[in-house]
Amino acid sequence: MEPMKSSTLERIRNNYVVQAWLVLILAVCFGGSLAGIQLALGPLIEANKINETLQKVPEMILGAEKAQKLPENKQLVIEPQTIEITKHNRKVFYNVFKAKYPNGRPAGWVAKAIGQGYADKIEILVGMDHKLKKITGLFVLDQKETPGLGNKIITNEWRKQFLKKKTATPLSVTKEGAKAAHEIDAITGATISSRAVCSIINTTIKDLRDPLLKRAN
Amino acid sequence: MSYIVDILLIAVGAALINNFVLYYFVGICPFIGVSRKVDMAFGMGCAVTFVISIAAFLSWTITTYILKPGAPLSKWMAGLFVSPEVAANIDLTILCYIVYIFAISSSVQFVEMYVRKFFPALYKSFGVFLPLITTNCAILFACLTIMSNVAGVDNPADAWDLGRSLTLAVFGGVGFTIAIVIMAGIREELELCDIPKPLEGAAITLVVAGILALAFMGFTGVDSGLKKALTPETPETVQVQVIQTNQNLNISG
Amino acid sequence: MADAPTPYERFIQGILPENPVYRQLLGLCPTLAVTNGLQAAMTMAGAVAFVLFCANIITSLIRDLLKPHLRIVIFTLTIATFVTIADRFLAAYMYQMSKTLGPYIPLIIVNCLIICRCEVCASKQSVVHAGMDAIGQSIGFAIALGSIAAVRELLGTGMLFGISVLPSVWPDWVVMVLPPGAFLTLGLLLGAVNWYGMQKQDA
Repeated sequence: MEPMKSSTLERIRNNYVVQAWLVLILAVCFGGSLAGIQLALGPLIEANKINETLQKVPEMILGAEKAQKLPENKQLVIEPQTIEITKHNRKVFYNVFKAKYPNGRPAGWVAKAIGQGYADKIEILVGMDHKLKKITGLFVLDQKETPGLGNKIITNEWRKQFLKKKTATPLSVTKEGAKAAHEIDAITGATISSRAVCSIINTTIKDLRDPLLKRAN
Repeated sequence: MSYIVDILLIAVGAALINNFVLYYFVGICPFIGVSRKVDMAFGMGCAVTFVISIAAFLSWTITTYILKPGAPLSKWMAGLFVSPEVAANIDLTILCYIVYIFAISSSVQFVEMYVRKFFPALYKSFGVFLPLITTNCAILFACLTIMSNVAGVDNPADAWDLGRSLTLAVFGGVGFTIAIVIMAGIREELELCDIPKPLEGAAITLVVAGILALAFMGFTGVDSGLKKALTPETPETVQVQVIQTNQNLNISG
Repeated sequence: MADAPTPYERFIQGILPENPVYRQLLGLCPTLAVTNGLQAAMTMAGAVAFVLFCANIITSLIRDLLKPHLRIVIFTLTIATFVTIADRFLAAYMYQMSKTLGPYIPLIIVNCLIICRCEVCASKQSVVHAGMDAIGQSIGFAIALGSIAAVRELLGTGMLFGISVLPSVWPDWVVMVLPPGAFLTLGLLLGAVNWYGMQKQDA
């Protein structure tokens, strides 16, 4: 009995080892190459993610033409901050960018905000002057609204309505044609998307007014 | 209360509004291949729902504890070899696709063994589909959605917990089942119709799926309506707690 | 056993006669999802080509060492690795496109097309065969994606590759860039290809 048992044992052991070695070697090779890719490309991807929002900040504060005309040595100094607020017993975080001129004079604030749109979440950047009295810029980072209808919130035509709006009164959307200072024209056929953007802006300003004014210096 | 509202919104979203098959286009192969008879379709839908839930549980656990940046288990293991500051930055998300696909294959194997042992009659009726589920995009898609809501969020407080992830998975499977059963019902009727020769088979199925997708588009906006109806309008108390400042960054044109 | 196809035959077969989308009905998930713009469709075709080519080559190189019940594991591991590499490259060098394509790049892992080619061709024939097969199938896939994307983008937005082609009086058929349009376009194009195939058979 003994010799047969040991040869069976040998066979089993041979089988598993022989079969598994290829998988293990491949796993090690692939793991190594993935680690290499991570080391090489990781920083690039991080930079891409950050630049996506950072590059927009001067435009949000100063407006597109002025931001482009800024000479190399007079670029804005941008300070990212995270502000945590408790409301409705939940913690809400805001990513905020504080912009200053090179001589230290504050230029304004840009806040990133997310809210529910018609189809899915809408992510925007709102630029405000440094005393949070007026809106200086609006940019839609991410949206999945209906193409051709709600999609139009990304167009400059619609967004430029928000420039120079005072933040003291909450903005509201009208379908007939904006008359009062705090009214915004809705996109034809996309009232809900237009309302969503206004409501996100209103909520952001309401939440951040006190914390940011405290940090204004 | 707001947790239940969240769960409800995720459930309705995954099953009806952003239906896996008719909006995200995942799980099309079984949708076209298996939807000839209603009972086969229902069996496939149930099998997929079952496997999605197990795979979602596995992927949430692995992502939260091993893969995401600063995950506890990897941090502890790395802390045994390198200094704590370096270990705190450990980020294994590059392995996530490989880990997920193996988690899915093992869940399918596990489900197949379980069903074959404990429900032999059930195994006979749809056991042949089980190995096919490994290449079902819907399951990997559910895992990827969970990963982007756990490891891809800006703020750690927004990361999904197990309840939300499982809700997405289960109701995504339910939505898949709804779509495939409706399609099976329609196809059973179509067999009695006179379809032009070029369109027979997959082509007419896709056209019918297009009309179904058009119908399901009617559900858009249901979740924001629900959210408004269910969230009480209490006066807000805004309290500022912590403010952190990250390092200065210069933008150069 | 019949003669195994030569590399040239594999190449030609992949383009139209055994077209992965129109004939084999494989890889329908990305076909429907990313074809609302020609640019996204071509990027996806490029990513699939890269993964298919590399996976075929590697599988063909190790084809003599494959054990029957571990081969699916090895295919999956290889494909997942190359998809991760492709995904990272896209995120690093084409960040906006990577955000548009979103979760559909990782879904290449479960794209039946690649596993099928590894199983049918690469694990049985030499590196040259596998390489030509990969190139042929990729071209076929790109043609399929391109045709669907062209129809959807043209009718849905009047543009091709983001450049306006149709005059501005064209009322955009928005449904074409939405999910129903994807299904309808693919279904009708599939019908057209079937009809063409039947004409050729009758002739």
